[in-house]
Amino acid sequence: MKKRCLKPLFLTAVLFSLTIALTGCSGDKASDSSSEITIGLAQDIEDSLDPHKAVAAGTKEILFNLYEGLVKPDADGNLIDAVASAHEVSEDGKTYTFTLRDGVKFHDGSLVTADDVKYSIDRCADTGNGDPLVSAFSNIESVNVLDESTIEVNLKEADTEFLAYMTTAIIPASNETPDTNPIGTGPYKYVSRSPQEEIVLERFDEYWGTPANIANITLKVIADPDSIAMNLNGGAIDMFMRITTGQMNELSDEFEIYEGTMNLVQALYLNNDFEPFQDVRVRRALCYAVDKQEIFDILSDGKGSELGSSVFPSFGKYYMEELNSVYTKDTKKAKELLAEAGYENGFTFSVAVPSNYQPHVDTAQILAQQFKEIGVTANINLIEWDSWLSDVYTNREFEATVIGVDASSLTARALLERFQSDASNNFINFKSDAYDTAITNALATADDDEKTRYYKECETILADEAANVYIQDLPEFVALNKKYAGYEFYPLYVQDFSKLYVVEE
Amino acid sequence: MKYVIKKIGTMIFTLCVVCFLIFGAFSLIPGDPALSRLGTQATESSLNALREQMGLNRPFLVRFADWFVHALAGDFGTSYSYNMPVSDMILDKVPITITLTLLAFVLIVLVSIPLSIYSVMHENGPVDRGILILNQILMAVPPFFSGMLITFFFGIVLKWFVPGGFVSYKKSFSGFLGYMLFPAIAVALPKIAMTVKLFRKSLLQEKKKEYVRTAYSKGNDSRGVLYGHMMKNALIPVITFLGMVLTDMIAGSIIIEQVFNIPGLGRILMTSISNRDYPVVEAIVLCIAVLVIVVNFLVDVLYHVIDPRMRTE
Repeated sequence: MKKRCLKPLFLTAVLFSLTIALTGCSGDKASDSSSEITIGLAQDIEDSLDPHKAVAAGTKEILFNLYEGLVKPDADGNLIDAVASAHEVSEDGKTYTFTLRDGVKFHDGSLVTADDVKYSIDRCADTGNGDPLVSAFSNIESVNVLDESTIEVNLKEADTEFLAYMTTAIIPASNETPDTNPIGTGPYKYVSRSPQEEIVLERFDEYWGTPANIANITLKVIADPDSIAMNLNGGAIDMFMRITTGQMNELSDEFEIYEGTMNLVQALYLNNDFEPFQDVRVRRALCYAVDKQEIFDILSDGKGSELGSSVFPSFGKYYMEELNSVYTKDTKKAKELLAEAGYENGFTFSVAVPSNYQPHVDTAQILAQQFKEIGVTANINLIEWDSWLSDVYTNREFEATVIGVDASSLTARALLERFQSDASNNFINFKSDAYDTAITNALATADDDEKTRYYKECETILADEAANVYIQDLPEFVALNKKYAGYEFYPLYVQDFSKLYVVEE
Repeated sequence: MKYVIKKIGTMIFTLCVVCFLIFGAFSLIPGDPALSRLGTQATESSLNALREQMGLNRPFLVRFADWFVHALAGDFGTSYSYNMPVSDMILDKVPITITLTLLAFVLIVLVSIPLSIYSVMHENGPVDRGILILNQILMAVPPFFSGMLITFFFGIVLKWFVPGGFVSYKKSFSGFLGYMLFPAIAVALPKIAMTVKLFRKSLLQEKKKEYVRTAYSKGNDSRGVLYGHMMKNALIPVITFLGMVLTDMIAGSIIIEQVFNIPGLGRILMTSISNRDYPVVEAIVLCIAVLVIVVNFLVDVLYHVIDPRMRTE
């Protein structure tokens, strides 16, 4: 008798669960009336939500929607007024005066005051914890509140590029827990988060500028890269930034692919202190051994924008396309250079690559293959991001690494300053007196043409000296369900969700 | 009673050792939480300031003692990465992992026990033979792969659930259960196969024993012999096995969480290790250790309930 009972019981259990499953699905689609979008994130924001303390690029690109500075970048790379309605730079480039915009509100409903602005700038310039939170702020002499809507920033030394750093977020002085309770002035406000699960944002209805189109945004963490295409096709997410060409090919025709660039300098960065790389001929030989087009073909179906130095095309006038052709693949020449340098039998070096960045890992593998042709053996050493930070970037205990270096602000300085001989972030130990002179001149001058000329000199030195084996600015593909449109690329590593909108059917 | 007290004593001792080992392990492996937080913007002085603030500059034993005293009081500190209390973070995720484990466990019991009994009652019948073959296949397929197949078949083809569309239990409990059922099936399948194999064999062995013949001779029909006499004896190895399955599922949920995009304990554990977010790692490992020890304890107690021979020892 007992056995008879078991079977129906089991069936009921299964049927019951299935009913739950089915109702569970339909529940999600019911609320179409208020616009919403679910965006996949490859990695959770494992970082502070405090805009001044957040360090990961993945955090900053999201926080871009929550916070604004006195000025902010637009999609063309210009700095436009945000919390300020006007700004003025004195003749000598030492005093910046900002007029605050009327009626700008924080997400908690309070008005932005000149004191909040002063608080935010002072907070980032504070040296109480060693270094200022924004390193360029060490140049700030004083921040003065002139009246309730005017604020003046005085610099120790003239800097005509300083406006780019005034994109630093303005936060309310009254917020005691900016780490977990972000309050800014951006088009979206923070609602909640659940670690490794999601971050929920909501449109800020009292935004001073053009309000965002979509009311609710859920940023959903998709930890398994193999399931991204399935999650897009299945409807769990509507958008995914930086998908690979492989994932792209798995997508159904419900998706539009937006194509841009990642805005970083991908290269085989060489430790210039490592024995063979101390010789410029060896570094040049490696450059001559590389076929960039082959890398683009294998990595991203032939797409990619070639680089010959440390500035990428989004930087407009600073970018020098002619440097791309300084080295073209020439195996014979590479071998000659190696022989001259005393390495006719080649040599072996190791390439440290952070294992969580697949494009860099793939690039390293293709490079190793190409170096074989000139008798050089590159051993790939996959390491954790954390070890990369400590061993490669901080302690400089490496021989070579494949990585992308991005710019924290829209100034050539952000990309080029690090290659000064004594720069604390000159992780490749690049040393060139000519370079040091050129960059010092570039930073010192207030004349824009002259500045640009000096920066270009820097770029040329990096290329001629073969400081690194420059490869490309990686192509970036964004998949967006055709129910939505309006995705825009920025020349910086940010995401602007406020431009997205729902396509009317 | 004395037995239970002795067991609890051992449990507490084991937990203390586990705590110390986890803490020690993180002092040995390379990586610096302060550097991990500051990333490429780190400078010598800012690193030092942060290490000081996090208390990482203190000697190992002082840090351990400090952590241990706070942990005893239920305070596991603040996550380095998320800046929120670790206990809040974990309490949020524990129900997810436990639901997944229990759901899978219920499936294992509900499917494998009746299936084994049917198989033994009709030994060498077509169903029995079919089950044997199917068992081999299911045991050979790892959960992450069956997980992908289930996602494809039930998610993409039949559209019974949205792949990757995890629903939080806070938003909709039924939606949550509905989603968790599929990963639970993926976890359960190979374990079902193993349980059936074990239980079927165990039953067949009992069948040959003399007390079974005695039971028949007392006038029981085959069903009476099975449920009244063989079951209890045949179940003992199965209970041992199911206990191990349960602990294995708690500790090993990470892979299936990855495939089905479930933000459970395993996922947090993985990311916290790579971020060197030690307070979170320590608390989760401790949490898993507690669950495993508790399950083992329950299994031990269950033996004593089922098998009177154990009580005398």
